[in-house]
Amino acid sequence: MAVPQTIARKKKRDWYGLGFITLFLLPALVILGAFMFYPIKETFRLSFMRSSGFGEEIYVGWLNYQRIFASPEFRQGFINVFTWAFWSVVIQIPLAFFIAFTCVNFRTRLIGRLRGVYYLSNVLPSAITAMLGVFIFSPTSGVIKTFAKSVGWQWLERIDFLGDPNIAFWSLFSLATWAYIGFGIIYLMANIEQIPSQIREAALIDGATQLQYAWRIVIPYVSYALRVQAILATVGSIKLFDLPYMVTLGGPRNATVTLGITLYREAFLNWQYGRGAAIGVIIFLICLAITVLQFAFVNNADTTSEVF
Amino acid sequence: MTKSKWYGFLVMTLASLLVLSGVAMAQTTLTIWAVDGLELDDPHAYYVQSMVRNFTADNPDITLDWVAFGTEGAALNNRVRVALAANQGPDIFQSWGGTFMGEFARMGKLLDLTDDLADVATSEAAKSAMSYDGKVYGIAPFFAIAGLYVNEEVFEKLELEVPTTMAELEAVCEVLVANDIQPFAVGARDEWPILATYMYLVNRYGGNIFEDAVAREVRFDADPFVQAGLKIQEWSGRGFFGPTPMSEGYGDAQLLMQTGQAALQLSGSWLCGLYADANQTDQTIGFYSVPILEGGVGSATDLMGMTDVGFVATSTAASKKDAVVRFLTYAMSVEAAEKEAGRVASIPGVDPPNRLTGMASDVFTQAETIQFWWDQNLPPALTNPINLTIQSFLMQDTDVKAELGRYEILVEDELGRVQ
Repeated sequence: MAVPQTIARKKKRDWYGLGFITLFLLPALVILGAFMFYPIKETFRLSFMRSSGFGEEIYVGWLNYQRIFASPEFRQGFINVFTWAFWSVVIQIPLAFFIAFTCVNFRTRLIGRLRGVYYLSNVLPSAITAMLGVFIFSPTSGVIKTFAKSVGWQWLERIDFLGDPNIAFWSLFSLATWAYIGFGIIYLMANIEQIPSQIREAALIDGATQLQYAWRIVIPYVSYALRVQAILATVGSIKLFDLPYMVTLGGPRNATVTLGITLYREAFLNWQYGRGAAIGVIIFLICLAITVLQFAFVNNADTTSEVF
Repeated sequence: MTKSKWYGFLVMTLASLLVLSGVAMAQTTLTIWAVDGLELDDPHAYYVQSMVRNFTADNPDITLDWVAFGTEGAALNNRVRVALAANQGPDIFQSWGGTFMGEFARMGKLLDLTDDLADVATSEAAKSAMSYDGKVYGIAPFFAIAGLYVNEEVFEKLELEVPTTMAELEAVCEVLVANDIQPFAVGARDEWPILATYMYLVNRYGGNIFEDAVAREVRFDADPFVQAGLKIQEWSGRGFFGPTPMSEGYGDAQLLMQTGQAALQLSGSWLCGLYADANQTDQTIGFYSVPILEGGVGSATDLMGMTDVGFVATSTAASKKDAVVRFLTYAMSVEAAEKEAGRVASIPGVDPPNRLTGMASDVFTQAETIQFWWDQNLPPALTNPINLTIQSFLMQDTDVKAELGRYEILVEDELGRVQ
């Protein structure tokens, strides 16, 4: 008779646990379901429809995807976001690391003040950053133009920073580097500061230069943070919309167009909700794939390092 | 009748009158979505602000719930589209007519006001802009036409005549370039500002060929479209749009005109208020017809333009139709329109508020045909691409014919192949 009583007690405990879990998880599940999973499912469904947002939706199969991949604008957006992602990882992360390393290891009064300056760009809304960008690069009254005029540098005056398709992308990228690097600096600084001071002292006593200390100790120590930064920069680049749209509208001739801008144009300017949804699906799948791959890589690397 | 019965009768009558007056004074609230707000002291919004103030004072039984979305029309348009799709939204919204309005009319989202507004005096062009399929859905108290803004001071200083032909225009531009003055202020970074120039050039080369292209009788890469594109490319190469046309926004273009750094601008008459305001510019600017092309098809009286300020009623306001009609009728009154600081009125009897608006009104009254903005009058799927296509003509390495060919493929998707 003792056995059934034990089972009954276990069952009672399970119900209590289930209720407890449900109580805490259900609200989040309902909110996520209503505002995330359902819209994702609807986006997938809509991507197979021809829809203007009004009236009936017509099933068109893969037509939206075919049209999107045939569109030069989408292809240019695709190239641009991956170029942006590549250079974000290659330029922005090393630069953020360099600044963070300097701020942590060389604590002078000036550098202390610079910390705030570096992070300032990150707290500014994108609209303000975009306005600043236009203010800097404007061909009529921009800072660069005014400076070039005042010192008589006609070569600089002639550069069309936002209107030349060969330059506009890099003008925007330099603005974005300034705007987005602040978070990377603070995040990496927080990680570098976790390194015990004894390790640094030991390295310096052993004769390591600052470069060797950075390369052989700090970078391996913050490698996880660097990889997280790489994921954030890559996914952020794929989803990029606000800054290019507000500064150049994706122009000139799609030189700064992104997947986000093509989505906005198709859905909200061209009233092609189906095609907009299809672009949304593509962005979602790319971001998902990159995140899964990079986390798999991170986990493998962690496992490997544990083995050694 | 006894005295008490008289008292009873009196009380009943008074009570009835009170009830009736209560019914008569029942408040109707009209929700109106617009671009301009009512709070700021902005000359651009004088008409709307005084119109709302005076209408509310004269009609105490109607409350206006005015919601402003900012002067960029996109925010208002996007909000309207989402709301009407869900059968929600305002009773009245500000609209520029065209296919954007037509799409709502086609879906039964708008209130047919054809009979109700039949007696409201307006120009045919304005009425046509606010109609779809023969039915009137709103009003357009102000109508914008595109014309040639000329800095008369600069012209006088350089002893230049206002051009009436394209050849004269090119000669004028050469002189301006030689004198380090930018001929045309455009603002092509914002995509749409170059559209008016292209529309006029297409008209001057091929007349009203645009309507034939929409009717699918000719392709969008037919000769006049290509010639107009090549002309923009040629002008851009000769520096007629300045050294950096692709990175100048519309605001930059206005600044160039206001400061006399540019001498010409082909744009809408909505700028008359700004350019006539001595607080905004110290230049003397005039408004003229766009030159003709010798040997071309289009004439100086072929104009490009559309609604400048317009209002449309939605089907959700059907139960308040009386209040809607009263508001729209007042918005079309001379009393309301004469408070405007610079736009061209489409209401007979409204005197232009300044010389520049008067010049634009004169051009408007001479119009024989008015072609609506292409980016407002094509199906929505084709409007943004046409602006992007035209913008690309400013670059020297653009293959104009190929770009128009790509646009034609989009048109075929929406409107079918040329018959």
